[in-house]
Amino acid sequence: MLEIPAQIWQKTKTSYIWRSLFRHGYPDSRKNQSLAVFTNVFLHLHPVKVRRHALAIPYTWCMGGLSFFLFLILTLTGTLLMFYYHPSVDGVYNAYGDIKDLETVVVFGQLLRNMHRWAAHGMVITVFLHMIRVFYTGSYKPPREFNWVIGTLLFFFTILLSYTGYLLPWDQLAFWAVTVGYEIARATPFIGDEFSFVVFGGFQLGPNALLRFYVLHVVGLPLATGFLIAIHFWRIRKDGGITGPL
Amino acid sequence: MTTPRGPQPFAGQEKRLRLLAFVRQDSVVRVDKRVEDTAMVWPHLLVIEFIAAMLWSIGLFVIAAAFNAPLQDHATPDCTPNPSKAPWYLLNLQELLLHMDKGLAGVVVPTVWLTFMAAIPYIDRSREGVGIYFTSANGKRITIFAAVFATVGTFSLILLDAFLKAHGYIEFATEHFPGGKQLLPNYLIPIGVMIGLSVLLVLIVQRLYAANTREWMIAVYTGFVAVYLVLTVVGTSMRGPGMDLFPPWAVPSTHQCLEPNI
Repeated sequence: MLEIPAQIWQKTKTSYIWRSLFRHGYPDSRKNQSLAVFTNVFLHLHPVKVRRHALAIPYTWCMGGLSFFLFLILTLTGTLLMFYYHPSVDGVYNAYGDIKDLETVVVFGQLLRNMHRWAAHGMVITVFLHMIRVFYTGSYKPPREFNWVIGTLLFFFTILLSYTGYLLPWDQLAFWAVTVGYEIARATPFIGDEFSFVVFGGFQLGPNALLRFYVLHVVGLPLATGFLIAIHFWRIRKDGGITGPL
Repeated sequence: MTTPRGPQPFAGQEKRLRLLAFVRQDSVVRVDKRVEDTAMVWPHLLVIEFIAAMLWSIGLFVIAAAFNAPLQDHATPDCTPNPSKAPWYLLNLQELLLHMDKGLAGVVVPTVWLTFMAAIPYIDRSREGVGIYFTSANGKRITIFAAVFATVGTFSLILLDAFLKAHGYIEFATEHFPGGKQLLPNYLIPIGVMIGLSVLLVLIVQRLYAANTREWMIAVYTGFVAVYLVLTVVGTSMRGPGMDLFPPWAVPSTHQCLEPNI
């Protein structure tokens, strides 16, 4: 009875198309497990083997990986949100109206917005906890100095990403929270007015600020963050993987 | 003639191998890669990553289903809420704004701190304690001491500031301080307190715990984390209308606009 599906499976596995997709057998041997990791574009970020202590959750808290995972979720939910959003303060299609529509008209729109919002808060927390873990385990020490610097930048970019996204609903909460930041930017020594003019697009918070924050939030900062993440991961591999007792 | 040790080049390839000798070992990264005590990424690490990703997906989904993201009225520049607060992760900076010049609190202090943080590995260059939480038992004691020191210190300073301001500090400074209410209260005193307390913390841990570079770095970093958290908590849950200080359970909730300045 089971011979027929077994035969079909066997035929599929040896077919020309299957072998063009997968260049190794089922990963139940050392060889195939290795091939599964380094012939897969998503998995080849990993080495084939890791030190056993790198698997210890009480050591890593999984916070670096989870920060990246939240970044992916934010990219996905953020892209979906972009289909429904116009970075405009008034007119028929405007930011606030779009958020209202998300909450009331779009199927699962509220859920989508909620996931994006809470994942954004979550990422600030996980990145902060990751930084704490790395510091207290001394994982910034040679040869990982530069990767710690990249990590510091990533923390800064996470805050910037979250902050630029905060303005986008264009409600009272967003407007006045970002106004606090605007006042801080204006108080920058020596170049306060010029700096805030460039970042916020004017001498008060208005349509230009919304558009600039939108572009920074959906294009500029994610690209910069993705670029830094790539370097960060690359350096983890090149610097000998996750730290452990010497 | 003794036989050379180690793997030998194949015939005809001696030259290529000799070229490699020009790359000094110090110029490439020396990493500690031992083959023993390793695990295959497939399945051991991937299983953990998969489970963690699933649990977080489910958790996020449940939170998103249970709690709606806030949405208030349409933005109105004429109606300033009292208080206006930054997002929670920047409330520490907003809290700092209440105690010193805006540019100092919002730009200079975070810039100096981020620069210092990035410079940590270039100050503490030893390889001591890599992969061990707090490096040693001494490091753990220093962490606890610094956390208590910074938490108590920050709370005390916030309370002292509130107390002094309630008792005419600004008016007194305007009249009697050189430079009025700006120079000393907004610049010199806060800068002095921030640098002074950091230096004091380092001196104490060096004296009490004979701290080395790694250990006083732990003290400073722990102090930062504690200050960051205290400022966030105070800014989030203890500031009410007018950004006045309240106990967390007695913060009045207001949704009124501030009177426009006429």
